[in-house]
Amino acid sequence: MRIGREGVMGGVDHRHAVFAPLDNTARVDAVVRRLADAIALEVLADGEQLPSESELASQLGVSTVTLREALVTLRNKGLVETRRGRGGGSFVRTPKPGEVGARLYGFSIQELRDFGDHYAAISGAAARLAAERSLEAELALLRRTLAQMESAASPAELRRLDGRFHIEVAAASQSARLTREEIALQADVGLLLWLPYEEADGRSVACLHREIVAAIGSGDGETARNLAERHIVEAVERLVELRLRAT
Amino acid sequence: MTIVDRIQALADHVFGTLDEVRDATARLAATTDGGLRSTDLARLRPLLFERLGPLIAGLGFIALPGLLPDSAWYLEWWQYDPDGPPKQLAAELDPAQPTFYDYTQWAWFTHPQNGLERSICGPYVDYLCTDEYSLTFSVPVLVGGAFVGVAAADVFVRTFETTLLPALKELPGQTFVTNNEGRVIASNTARWISGSVFRGSPAHTTQPIGRTGLSLVTAR
Repeated sequence: MRIGREGVMGGVDHRHAVFAPLDNTARVDAVVRRLADAIALEVLADGEQLPSESELASQLGVSTVTLREALVTLRNKGLVETRRGRGGGSFVRTPKPGEVGARLYGFSIQELRDFGDHYAAISGAAARLAAERSLEAELALLRRTLAQMESAASPAELRRLDGRFHIEVAAASQSARLTREEIALQADVGLLLWLPYEEADGRSVACLHREIVAAIGSGDGETARNLAERHIVEAVERLVELRLRAT
Repeated sequence: MTIVDRIQALADHVFGTLDEVRDATARLAATTDGGLRSTDLARLRPLLFERLGPLIAGLGFIALPGLLPDSAWYLEWWQYDPDGPPKQLAAELDPAQPTFYDYTQWAWFTHPQNGLERSICGPYVDYLCTDEYSLTFSVPVLVGGAFVGVAAADVFVRTFETTLLPALKELPGQTFVTNNEGRVIASNTARWISGSVFRGSPAHTTQPIGRTGLSLVTAR
C-alpha cells in the first residue's frame, strides 16, 4: 500500500501525528511494564537492589526524569521500596501471598472471566502450534521442567516451574509474539491464578502438564490446545469461586 | 553465485567474525599474567562493538564456569542497538538465585564444549535475552588445547531471511533453507514458512550446505 501526500489516513495532520515523537507517558508505561514483569516473574528477586537511577536510566535508554516517574508508579503498586540514607536505594518487593489475595478483591467476576478468556486463547493457540512445530530439542526442555516439578521443594518453586513450563510451551510454538504475550499475562495475573493452588503438590501439577507434553510430543494439536485451555479455564473457575466466597 | 554459495558465504561471514573473537580471547588468555579475570575481557569490547550491526545482533565470549578466578560464571556478551551504543546483557549469574541463568544447559554452549567446531543453533524464541526469533552461531575457544568457553553470535531469523530472500525469490520452484533438524529458516513459499518443520518428503530434494548443518530443500 502506498501512502501519498494526502495519505490513506486522510491528510497531512494525521501523518504529522503518526510521526510525532512518542510522548513521555508511553515511555514511562513501557518502563513500568518492563520492571513489573521482571518482578512478577521473579527475574528480579525479592529484596534485590536496583542499580542507581542514572545507571538504570541509561541501561533502559530513557531519561532519569522518565525513570523517576516509573519508579513512583512502581512504588505506589508496592513493587519497589525506596530507602534513604546510607545503604539506601530502590529495592524490589515481590508481592506476598496475602497481598495477592487482597488484590483478588480488586477484580470483578467479569474481569476475572475476561482474563481467563484472553489467557486461554493465548495458551491454547501456543499449545496447538507447539504440537505442530516441536522437535526433540523443545520436548527435552519441557520434560526437564516436568521432572523438576515432581521434586519441587516449595510452593514458590513449583509456581516458578509452572511459569517456566508455559513459557517453554509458548516458545515451542516458534512465535515470539505468543511468547511475549504469555510472559506478559503471567506477569499480570500469574500470581493470582496460582492463588487457589497454594497447597498443590508437585506430583499432581506435573501430572496435568505431562498430558500436555504427551499431546505436543505426538503432534496432536487439537488435544494440546484443549488441555491447555482447560488448564486455564479450571484455574479461573477456582479463582472465581474464591472471589465469590469473599463477597 | 548460486543460492548454496550465498548461504555458505553468509555462514562463513558470521563464523569468520567468531574466529576473530575466539583468537582475540585466546591471545588475551595467553598474554595475561596470573590468569584471565572478568575485567580483562573488557579488552574484547572494541572488536565486539566493531562487528555488531544489523546482521550480528549479539556477540561475545562465554566463559567455562570456574575459568575466571573472580567470577565463576561470566558472559562478555553485547547486543546491537540501532539507536545507541551496544548494551551488555545483564544476566543473573549467582547460582543461589532462583532465576540463575545456567548457560551451560544450552546447545550453543554444549555443542562447542563437546568438540563441534562450528555450530548453528535455532531458530528458537530467545525469551531470556532478546525476545527475538534467533539463530545462535558458536565456536569453541581453546587455550593450550583446553576448552575455556565459547565465542558466539546471534543472528535474528528475520535478518537471515531478508538477506537471502532476493536470491531465493529468483529461483523458479518452491525452495527453503532448514537447520539440521528440518526447521525452516528462510523460504520462498508461504507453504514452508520460517518456524515450520520439514519432516522429509519424496516430493522434495535435500542438499546439505557444506558443513554448516543447514540444508537447501527444493520441490521436485
